[in-house]
Amino acid sequence: MTISIWRYSHLTLAISSFIFICLAAITGIILAFEPISNQLKPYAIRNTNQITIAETLGSLKKEYKEVVTVKVDQNNFVTASVIKKDGKSETFYVNPTTGKKIHSIQTKASIYKFATNLHRSLFLKSTGRFLVGFFSFLLFLITVTGSILIIKRQGGIIQFFTKVVNEDFKQFYHVILGRYFLIPIVLITLTGVYLSLEKFSLLPKTKVKHQYDFVSKTDKKLAIKNFPVFKQTKLSDLKSIEFPFSEDEEDYFFVKLHNKELLVHQYSGEIASNQQLSWVKILSEWSLFLHTGRGSIFWSIVLLLSCFAILFFIYSGFAITLDRKKKSKLPKNKFKKDIAEFIILVGSESGSTFGFAKSLFEALLQENKTVYVDHLNNYTIYKNAKQLIILTATYGEGEAPTNASKFLQLLDLVQQNNNIKYSVVGLGSYAYPHFCQFAIDIDNKLQELNNFSPILSLAKINNQNFGDFKNWAIQWSEQTQIPLELKQQEFKPKKQYNFKVLDKTELNNDDSFLIRLQPTKKMKFQSGDLLSITPKKDNIERLYSIGKIENDILLSIKKHDVGICSNLLYNLTTEENLSARIQQNKSFHFPKKSKEVILIANGTGIAPFLGMLENKTKTHVFLGLRTQHSLEMYKPYLNKINYKVAFSQEGEKKYVQDCIQEEQKLVASVLKNGDAIMICGSVAMMNGVLNNLEKIVASELKTPLQKFKNNGQIKTDCY
Amino acid sequence: MKKITAIFLLALITMAFTITESTKYKCMIQMKNYDGEGAYVVISLLNPEGKYEKTLYVQGDDEDWYHDITEWWNFHGKVRSDIDAITGATISGGNRAISVIEIPNDKIDQGYKIRFESAVEDQEYYKDDVEFELTSENVKGKIEGKGFIRYIRMIPQ
Repeated sequence: MTISIWRYSHLTLAISSFIFICLAAITGIILAFEPISNQLKPYAIRNTNQITIAETLGSLKKEYKEVVTVKVDQNNFVTASVIKKDGKSETFYVNPTTGKKIHSIQTKASIYKFATNLHRSLFLKSTGRFLVGFFSFLLFLITVTGSILIIKRQGGIIQFFTKVVNEDFKQFYHVILGRYFLIPIVLITLTGVYLSLEKFSLLPKTKVKHQYDFVSKTDKKLAIKNFPVFKQTKLSDLKSIEFPFSEDEEDYFFVKLHNKELLVHQYSGEIASNQQLSWVKILSEWSLFLHTGRGSIFWSIVLLLSCFAILFFIYSGFAITLDRKKKSKLPKNKFKKDIAEFIILVGSESGSTFGFAKSLFEALLQENKTVYVDHLNNYTIYKNAKQLIILTATYGEGEAPTNASKFLQLLDLVQQNNNIKYSVVGLGSYAYPHFCQFAIDIDNKLQELNNFSPILSLAKINNQNFGDFKNWAIQWSEQTQIPLELKQQEFKPKKQYNFKVLDKTELNNDDSFLIRLQPTKKMKFQSGDLLSITPKKDNIERLYSIGKIENDILLSIKKHDVGICSNLLYNLTTEENLSARIQQNKSFHFPKKSKEVILIANGTGIAPFLGMLENKTKTHVFLGLRTQHSLEMYKPYLNKINYKVAFSQEGEKKYVQDCIQEEQKLVASVLKNGDAIMICGSVAMMNGVLNNLEKIVASELKTPLQKFKNNGQIKTDCY
Repeated sequence: MKKITAIFLLALITMAFTITESTKYKCMIQMKNYDGEGAYVVISLLNPEGKYEKTLYVQGDDEDWYHDITEWWNFHGKVRSDIDAITGATISGGNRAISVIEIPNDKIDQGYKIRFESAVEDQEYYKDDVEFELTSENVKGKIEGKGFIRYIRMIPQ
């Protein structure tokens, strides 16, 4: 079954019920405080499991003229209703051992009364009760569909609790909290449904009926405190005792325990009738407990947090949907599919790929080309097609996105009439193990088909990098002789902040320089986070790894002759402001818990590590640079520590990956102890290092490197 | 002379009090096995003309529902006497409740009546679920109900 059905139901259910659920959650938050405050009151008796009924009844009998009822409620308040020696009747909280009054009965605070009423019936009496029960059930279904979505997303039930990739705050915590609160919310919703079923008498009827033979006069007279049944029963098992109404022998003690009801003869103390409560009643008791948290501070807090979580789900869920909707629009076609020569097909789960498709679509239109854009699943015969461009993301474990799930089968079924040249662009993230897998599958499949021929090899784009996409377009233009001027779709720009330039070094021989920036507002960040700069000139976002030095941001930049952003930075003067934004990058933070860390960087990738050197963790630093001169500008930051440098253009002409090869023992012990290796710099260097690591791990630890990658022991930030 | 008058007055006052003395009765309400919410039951004293004289006990402590007990509300809603001391919880189907009510002795055998009216949320309202004349015989007995109440029993203290 495709994911879309689950997502669709998840969303539809949420839309149809969110107002009610929101109300229930807010009132639920208020109500969660009731059992907590009750538990903190002084009349809660802590040791009810050590006091027998006989003890309590004995002391009450002594203290008062007559006892009418004794009750133990869910808060462990013991209530006695008595007629005092002066003939006045009174009901109060009582000390079960002394029989003395502790406090008069407290009525429910009006805020709780109000909230309870709203929570269970919306002030609509029976109609309201029905609605609340119904929406409780819908919330249960939302929880179930949500769990299925998590399972699909993580790639199987077993992976339910594996690491979630953090792409977006809302999405990330929607999933994370969804897992943590799955069980409490299922319990809340099911007990809620059960309680409303009970109110509507929809559960099997099970009234307890006492049948007993009337015992004729007995001579046996025991004092109440000597009744065996009372001596054996603890106060914690008791719900209530009603004393015999009169002195007639047919009036019994009516004892309600948590699991049964007893009639006890008022003189002999014998049990005249003993009726077990039905499972319906016992389930009701449990439902009440689980739903209200009464009597348990711990569970009340769980319920309280669940209510907050539900509110967060409503917020984040709708925010995710709106984001997705905004991005998912395909541009309107100007040409019919059988007229167009250029066909763009899109596969996307979250919608970000559509923005790229739109850019391409408009660029082709501008060149007066007949172009047609559609979802991959709508693949059909295109009579005039000459060029096919496929832009696709990958979902989960290398699967197709929802709108592309049938494409591979369709490729076999649909027979195109003419020969078509194609190019496939995969969009994804290195953070996933199956980077661009679906694009790879499509590319392989197309290669098998006769009337398709590639004009470019498969292009892969990491994290929606528009620059990469432009590079692909340049190659494509070269092949087709069609110039493409791609404009990045204007997303609502994220809020930018000002950063003051404190210092900037001159260019070194490698055309690199360091720039030190100071946030003009107080900001929380750490080394490894990213500074996002979006120059106005092209509106394309660039990310630079931050080294945090004394609360300033240190960036190491390589200036390219035509680089818009690197030139922008290079041309800044001291005291000038730069507008940019800090983007958290948790996957590349220095691991606080590690005892020993290996840092490997080349070129400008050194920057984040310069900010990570001030700590107590044993840190091994390996740097790769071109020449001794390249090292100069970093030296002021490296004077306190030991490090190894490989110069690629001087002396032994070594690469940093070669240094790693010599450190077999160190690498193996660090990984074996669960500590981390961090790599920052060029992708070529990263691949070289990973290759060497793979060999070391295979020979020393007999484990595949993937294992360490998966559990986050190998952290990379490469470009 | 003044002293004698004072003593005489005092004696008179004491006598006046002895005349309006009242007795406490233990009263048990046993409900039928109906389904639904707990019942509100109001016990009132009616004068020989059948008019409300006094509220004796209210089972059910949420004032929001009092107007459902229509007849009594016409009386109590206007007077709003303080009934905090004679208020208990609602009684669920099949359960029973015991309360202590106080009836002035001079109302016994004088044509006064006692009325138990009952109402359950979203169900019927019985204006005279149990109603009987206050005779010295009745206040020791057991009387069957017509609505939610199975029977009531009373005994003087």
